[in-house]
Amino acid sequence: MFWKDKYRLGVEVIDQEHMELFQRVEAFMNVLRSSQSWEEKVGQVNETLEFMKNYVVEHFSHEEAYQKKIQYPGYEAHKKKHDEMVQYVAEVSEQYEKSGFNEQLMQQFGGRLLAWLVNHVAAEDQRIAAYAIEQGVTGNEN
Amino acid sequence: MKTNLYTPFVQATCQVLQTMLDLTDIAERSADEFHANEYLEISVGVVGDLEGFITYRFPSQTSLNIVQILSGMEMDCVDDFVTSAVSEIANIISGTVMTLLSADHLTCDILPPFQGKPDTSKEYSQRSQCCVSTSIGDICLDIALNKA
Repeated sequence: MFWKDKYRLGVEVIDQEHMELFQRVEAFMNVLRSSQSWEEKVGQVNETLEFMKNYVVEHFSHEEAYQKKIQYPGYEAHKKKHDEMVQYVAEVSEQYEKSGFNEQLMQQFGGRLLAWLVNHVAAEDQRIAAYAIEQGVTGNEN
Repeated sequence: MKTNLYTPFVQATCQVLQTMLDLTDIAERSADEFHANEYLEISVGVVGDLEGFITYRFPSQTSLNIVQILSGMEMDCVDDFVTSAVSEIANIISGTVMTLLSADHLTCDILPPFQGKPDTSKEYSQRSQCCVSTSIGDICLDIALNKA
């Protein structure tokens, strides 16, 4: 599993969602990178993609609500990064469907998603945790 | 006046590689010592107070090692998946550089990364190369920027 404990923010609900997201992305990559033919795996790829499209939006909105709650000063900039990713996922999905499920598009999407997610959780999200610790509001998730 | 671009580029590269890949043994090295027969070339356009390009050269084995560490999966060739992941890393490093430059009151944006080398035949006042060496291979950056 490519999840690492150092990615934890110390906010249980967010950490659980991050772990779920990493698991889903890992499952997606496993199918994408398997030696099966594209025809054999395209159904599973589409299923995982559909789940992620919804889950990413749901998770981002939970994380943004938490940032607002603790009055995180980087909220606007962080939300912009979320919005750009949501837009990218929507655009690629649309292009992918229109192309008749082109494999190259999904391989490119998978690679970018992997690097984006690791950086976002390992760097960007850690700033939220650092702020929460500094303000003494860690665990303020309800 | 020439802006010191070398330091923020090296700093950003080290920072991103440490955070994303847990690499700690990163050292600067002379760009003259960068030798790779096959490498992935990714360019990122810069607009704003500085305009031009940053071109990253990731040797093939370095690219495979990076994606292997990120994903925990074996990678045997530089395909669309690997190229896209490495392009995103070039994008992240460039974004980090722009943040560092904003401390010097330089406001710049980056354009989406693309594979290959841009046309840098025109004159650039800020032209330098930097290279970092790590346990998973070297990465070289070619900076070609002008003050707008």
